[in-house]
Amino acid sequence: MRVSAALRTTPVGSLGQAWKFCWRVMWSVYRGRVFQFSAEALRQAGILLVGSAIIVLGLVFILGLECGIEGAYGARAVGAISASGAITALCDLREVIPYAFGYMMAAKVSTGYVAELGSMRISEEIDALDVMGLDSVVYLGATRLLGTWLVLPFIYAIAVTVGIAASYLAVVIEIGQVSAGGYLQLFWMFQTPVDFLYSGIKGMAMATFVVLVGVYYGYHATGGPVGVGRATAKSMIANIVGIHLIGMLGTQIFWGFNPRAPIGG
Amino acid sequence: MDATAGRGYRTTRDFVREIGAMVILTRQTIVSALRPPYSYGPELVSQSVFAIRLCWFPMVLAGVAFTYGPAGIQAAGFLDLFGALDRLGGLFALTVIREFAPLVCAIVIAGVAGTAICADLGARKIREELDALRVLGVDPIKSLVVPRFVSLMALTGLFNIFALLFGTFGGVLVTLTHGAPLGPFFATYFNNATTPELAASLIKTTIFGAMIAIICCHKGMTASGGPEGVGRAVNQAVVLAFLGIGAVDYVFTQTLLATHPELTMAR
Repeated sequence: MRVSAALRTTPVGSLGQAWKFCWRVMWSVYRGRVFQFSAEALRQAGILLVGSAIIVLGLVFILGLECGIEGAYGARAVGAISASGAITALCDLREVIPYAFGYMMAAKVSTGYVAELGSMRISEEIDALDVMGLDSVVYLGATRLLGTWLVLPFIYAIAVTVGIAASYLAVVIEIGQVSAGGYLQLFWMFQTPVDFLYSGIKGMAMATFVVLVGVYYGYHATGGPVGVGRATAKSMIANIVGIHLIGMLGTQIFWGFNPRAPIGG
Repeated sequence: MDATAGRGYRTTRDFVREIGAMVILTRQTIVSALRPPYSYGPELVSQSVFAIRLCWFPMVLAGVAFTYGPAGIQAAGFLDLFGALDRLGGLFALTVIREFAPLVCAIVIAGVAGTAICADLGARKIREELDALRVLGVDPIKSLVVPRFVSLMALTGLFNIFALLFGTFGGVLVTLTHGAPLGPFFATYFNNATTPELAASLIKTTIFGAMIAIICCHKGMTASGGPEGVGRAVNQAVVLAFLGIGAVDYVFTQTLLATHPELTMAR
């Protein structure tokens, strides 16, 4: 017993603790135990939709614009400005939209969960839930995860649209050296529904990860009002490391062995 | 309908007020930093060490990951189809120096160091330490905000160099996994890298650092509302910082590319 307590304070031990907690959250969603609180899950989904979606889309829009100008100037540098569509297609759908989505989900949603659950933990509301016989992990954690899963595929699809529109604005309207038809022809040629699916898997994996991190850090906050702030700051470290690992692995798995571009045989 | 309009008006008004307060804080910070006595040295050193200790690992990982994926795998796959993998170096010099290294650097600094600063100042505000400082006659801007402002500004520029190095390392990894020699990669890399590009990259990250420091200090020092207040302040700070990074990045890059046509030539 003493050994396990000592182990728990090591980095590996605390990673194991976190994994155990996240597994419990995901398991209670998978086994349907969360559906006894389906109203709460819907409420969380609503909060996400009303409060956070527009801000997530905002960052996707800005980074989509940047993809557009980088693509246009990059293509012009090699004397092929009409090929900007090929660059923005790869840049938008495959990389920048998932990253922008993940960053903003981490900043807005995940740290919001840490602040909310952390203050509930500090004011002993979570203990009160446990005393009343409600499973607090299911009621607070699993409902948030289910709520996220309910709305995020739709928000992600809108985010892809917004990012694509931003690149179009930057290349065709703002820089204006390539015609709309020429841009869109190459743009659509360089992506398929399968790429969209892969991109969505990457985005969903990042979003799931950051929600679990937020719930974990909030649920385990300690040390008074100051502790909530500290937990919020610490959760961002885990978020940034996780988002980049997921992004790198996803790209390697989905596009590393087959570039999936309509060139050559 | 009236209620919605009223809420929209209040949100806009509060947002504009907040931006105004940040501009005022920026002015006060710069004036306070330049005016003697320069008593913030020790705090500056301890803040810098604190930020480096927090940031170095996420920085290295994010630097490699962000270039290995977008600029590395996608571009290398694309170029490999044309049999022009040696051009990857030139592409890296353009995209990594101009865009990816500053962006990753700012995201990590805002997400890791900025949130820590905001949580720290928010805790001091909640425990009324800031009021105590004022009562003692110590200016909180000079003793707390200025060192954080200066150290984040310097560190974001410094970390930009690290993001550049590790970003280039991501390109080296991709070249090696494609079984291509490294010589052409570095040859085109150094052919395309220009001094103005690097200088612009450093200026951009310094602006990012200043902005992150001001946003996070302001949000921390105005935290209120009990236990939830500090967490909420950190949340709002990181959201604002990310949006600000995106906006500044877009305006800066667009202005730079439009006014320096020699940067957009491939060599």
